[in-house]
Formats: sequence, C-alpha cells, structure tokens
Amino acid sequence: MNKLFAISQAVITDAIRRKVVWAVVVFAALMSIAIPALPSYGVGIVDGVFRQVAIALMWVAALIVALALAATRLPVEIERRTVFNVVARDVRRWQYVVGTWLGMFVVLGLVLVAFTVAAIAVGWVSYSRPMFLLFEATFAVWLEIGIIMAFTVMLSTLFGPVTSVVGGLVLAFVGHGVVSFLHLSELERAPAWFPSLDVFNVINPVALGGGVSWVYLVAMVIAFCGWVSLFMFGGSLMFAGRDL
Amino acid sequence: MPKHSAWPLHEGQAGSIVEEEKEGPMNVAVTPEKRDASTDGAPAILIEHARKIYGRASGNRRDAVADVSVSVSRGAIHGLLGPNGAGKTTTLKMLLGLVRPTGGRFELLGMDARKPGARARVGFLPEQPYFPQQLTALEAMTLYGKLTGLSASDIAEQAASLLSRVGLEGSEKALLSKFSRGMLQRLGLAQALLGSPEVLVLDEPASGLDPVGQRDVRNLMLSLKDEGKTVLLSSHQLSEVETVSDEVTILHLGRVAARGHIDDLLNVSGQTSIRAVGDGELPQAVSAVMSDLAATGSTVVFSVQDADARTAVEALYNGGWKIVQLQPKRASLEDYFAALLESHRADAGSNSQGEEGVQ
Repeated sequence: MNKLFAISQAVITDAIRRKVVWAVVVFAALMSIAIPALPSYGVGIVDGVFRQVAIALMWVAALIVALALAATRLPVEIERRTVFNVVARDVRRWQYVVGTWLGMFVVLGLVLVAFTVAAIAVGWVSYSRPMFLLFEATFAVWLEIGIIMAFTVMLSTLFGPVTSVVGGLVLAFVGHGVVSFLHLSELERAPAWFPSLDVFNVINPVALGGGVSWVYLVAMVIAFCGWVSLFMFGGSLMFAGRDL
Repeated sequence: MPKHSAWPLHEGQAGSIVEEEKEGPMNVAVTPEKRDASTDGAPAILIEHARKIYGRASGNRRDAVADVSVSVSRGAIHGLLGPNGAGKTTTLKMLLGLVRPTGGRFELLGMDARKPGARARVGFLPEQPYFPQQLTALEAMTLYGKLTGLSASDIAEQAASLLSRVGLEGSEKALLSKFSRGMLQRLGLAQALLGSPEVLVLDEPASGLDPVGQRDVRNLMLSLKDEGKTVLLSSHQLSEVETVSDEVTILHLGRVAARGHIDDLLNVSGQTSIRAVGDGELPQAVSAVMSDLAATGSTVVFSVQDADARTAVEALYNGGWKIVQLQPKRASLEDYFAALLESHRADAGSNSQGEEGVQ
C-alpha cells in the first residue's frame, strides 16, 4: 500500500501545482459571486436558487478538472516515458493505475472544498446565513465525478486523451439520462443500487429541502465503491496487457 | 541464413561472429561457461531467445526482436550495441516487464524477470528519461525511493548523496520543469542508483550530456563496477561502450550479430602495433613490412604482421629508435561495428540477388 500511496502523493503534488486546476476553481468561484446578477434572481426562494446554481457550477467545474486530469495523466506519462521509472521497479501495474486515480480523486476533493468554501462565503455575505448544507452536495459531486474520473482513467490506459474525454462525457450524460431513457422518471430518485449517476444528484434536497439522510449518503458511498472498483479493475487489466 | 564474417577473427577467440547458417536459432544459447562465471551459478541477467512481434495481421506485423540471447555475469559491464531498429531497447523493455515478450526466457539475478519482485534489486535508466514536471528533484527522488521500498531516513540520506554524485547538488529543490536535458539525464542516473541495486540497466546513459558529463558517466560506470554492480549498457556511443564494457553483444535486425569480450572482438588477427620514438627515417627493414603509419613529431605508430614484429623491433633498436609500446593491434569499436554492418548489408544484397535469380 505504501507504493500506491507514494504514487498518489506524487500525483497530488504534481496536480496542485498546475495552474489550470486552480484557474478552473477561481473561475467557478467568480461565477458564484455573479449568481445574484442572474435575471430571474429574486424570484421564489432566493437562497435556494443560489444553492442550485452553485451546485451546478460545482459539478461543471469538477467535471472539467476531472477530465483534464484523468484523460491526460497516463497517456502523457506513457508518451514521455515517465511511467518507466515507476513500473520498471517492483511495482504492480494495478498499483500505478489505482494510485494515479486515488491521487487525482484527492485533488478533485481539494478543488471541490475550495469552491464550496468560496460559495458558502459568498452566500454568507449575501444572506447573512451560512449554507453548510452545500457540503452534502460537494460530497455527492465528489463521488459522482470520482466515478467518471475512474472510467476516464480506465479508458486512458489504452486510448489517448481525446477518446478518454469523450468517453468520460458520454458516461456523464448517459449516466444521468438512463433513468428517463428507460422511462423510470416516475421515480423521484433512482435507488442507490441502480446503475445511474442520478443517485448522486442531490441538488433539490440540498437546495430546496433539508438535505439527504445519512442512510442515503452511505448508499451513495457503496454505489461509488462498486463503480470505482469495477473501473479500476478494468483499467488495471487493460494496462497490464499494454506494451509500453 | 547468411554467414557473417565482417572482421577477421582468428580461431579460438572468445568473441565470435555469430554463424547463423551453421548454428541456426540455437546459436545464441548461453554457454555453460558463462553461467558458471557468476558467484552463485546464475548470471545477473539472462535473456534467452527473446522474441517480440508487433502487430498480428500480416500487413502490419513487425519482428522487433527475432531471436536475442544475452547473458551478463555478475559484476560485469555488458554493452548492447546495434543500429537504430536493431532491437536493443525492445530487448531491455522485455527484460524489465515494460513490453510483453512474444517468446523467450528472462531472468534477473536468477529470478523470473516477469515477476515484479525480480526487479527489486534492479535500477533502470530509460532512454531520454522524463519525470513529473511539477516535482522538485528531491521530491522525485523521494517518490522513487518509496517505490524502491526505502525507509524515510534512507531516502533522505541516499537522495542527497546520489544527487551530489551525479552533479545535481544545489538543484535539489528546483522544479523539474526547469531542468535541462542533461540535468534530467543526471537525475535519471540518480534515481536508477536508489537502493544500491545489484543490477543496473542503462539505456543511452550519456545521451544529452556534454563531454564532461559523458566522462562523468563513464567514470560512474567504472566505479559501479568496482563496487561489484552489474551493468547492462545500451548505447550508440561506441567509444563509451568500448571504454567501460567487459563484453558486448551486437544486435542487427533483431538478432545477435556478434558477441564476446571487447578485447577479443577488437584485436585484429595476426598484427602487432608498434609505437616508437626517434629521429630520422625509419629503417628500411621496417618500411618494407609496416602498414598504417601515423607520425606525430618524433613519434611513429605503425602495424606489422606478427611474423615480422621481431624483425621490425630489432631494426628499430639497431637504428637508435626507442620502442615505447608493443601490443596486439586493436581496432576501434567503430571500425568493427561499421565492418560488421557492411558485411550484413552485403550478405543481404547477395541473398536478394540469389532469390531473384531463382525466380
């Protein structure tokens, strides 16, 4: 496990020093400041609308960061032969794949926390009330985008960045469209075990309601672990068979 | 299959041009003598009948390595030579598990090289190494130290000393994105030495280095040999290989073209090189038998047939010349290499002509 964490740590250090990651965070945070300027703002439950838009921004920013990191890391390391210094050692290839994903997942978490703190600060200043409930949405977005990230990493073990990004986007949209596609839209939220990313969509309960239950959060974590395990297993198998 | 005879080698030389026609694919089998040369019976590196084919369809099928066998005794420096596309890097990659071999046997220190554990005592410098650009040199060394299984204290100690050893002292905290090509090469050497590995596989270690850096690399390899390390060295820089290697294997078109001890490969059969210092013209008896004369000031260097060496020495002595060096004539590795490739091309040409004639 030490080797896996060493790889993760290197990924974290490398990623958080890249300007592009923090540029996305700053841009998203600035957008949250601009939310009160929206034309429809002021209609209905004003702070609820603020939370809705903030969560949507958070999701988009996280998706951009995730795809930018996950689709490029392995292909670039393979192209530049950086990977040789790792896998030519006493290191299993699955350790490299999982360690890489884990590092990026932690970076994603840091980015989301940074954005959430900024959004809460804006909300606090605007409405004189903290919106710590946003962290529930942050957690859900983190898990969901973590799955998309795992899928993108899996693709990137064999394919280039463009194919991997397209694959990640397809999963994001198909994952959210599958419920309506299968005419299951009568369900308010698909059950956690259902193969749909909609289980991680907690915008309405967080923005307009009282949040989600602990049971639901645990169910999300279980679903997350299942999907990530599947994609990491696939990615490890694909990478193990690849000539470098 | 062609029979190669690029350079005059006399019978009984340890280094021998591979006679593929006579020996077939088995010609590259490792000899028992070589296996016994190691301290515990197993060579440090053993590659037998390595084979790698890329592509499955007949249209894109490419034999990167057709049949390569290499055995490196413990404590030796072994040079792997060959022109571009000869299969050197692919062979090294197969040995280190970076590329899946189509066939062959690979051992590191007596262990099956396919198992990651076999690489625990092996350091590897890839060709033109790169590293995560946003890490510092020290952070990169820490990462690779952890992957090598070193403790935190060992990493701290070794990272500092190795960075100093390769000439990167003072650059420990610089981002690798600011490193020059030569500095990255030095860092590559340093990370390969982490954990004091018993075996080092170096792919073009002097690539991108200035002449001083190249000299440092040569000295480093020689000091590693003094420490009892085994080095498998792949290089285009023939002078580098010639200076440090005990044995070489020359690859061409994915096969072993020649192998042997560097001295045996380069000693020109039946000739003696003489270096003498004196004034005036060379004695007539010497001029009559010598060849390859080179003169600088009062020093002359020339070659004679072994049978004429005594005559030449006596004539020089009687003529008042001082003989400062007398040794079997040795070709440069560049000459040997060029002759070998020329021979292969000639063989390939004659074979294709023969095939056309049959058609």
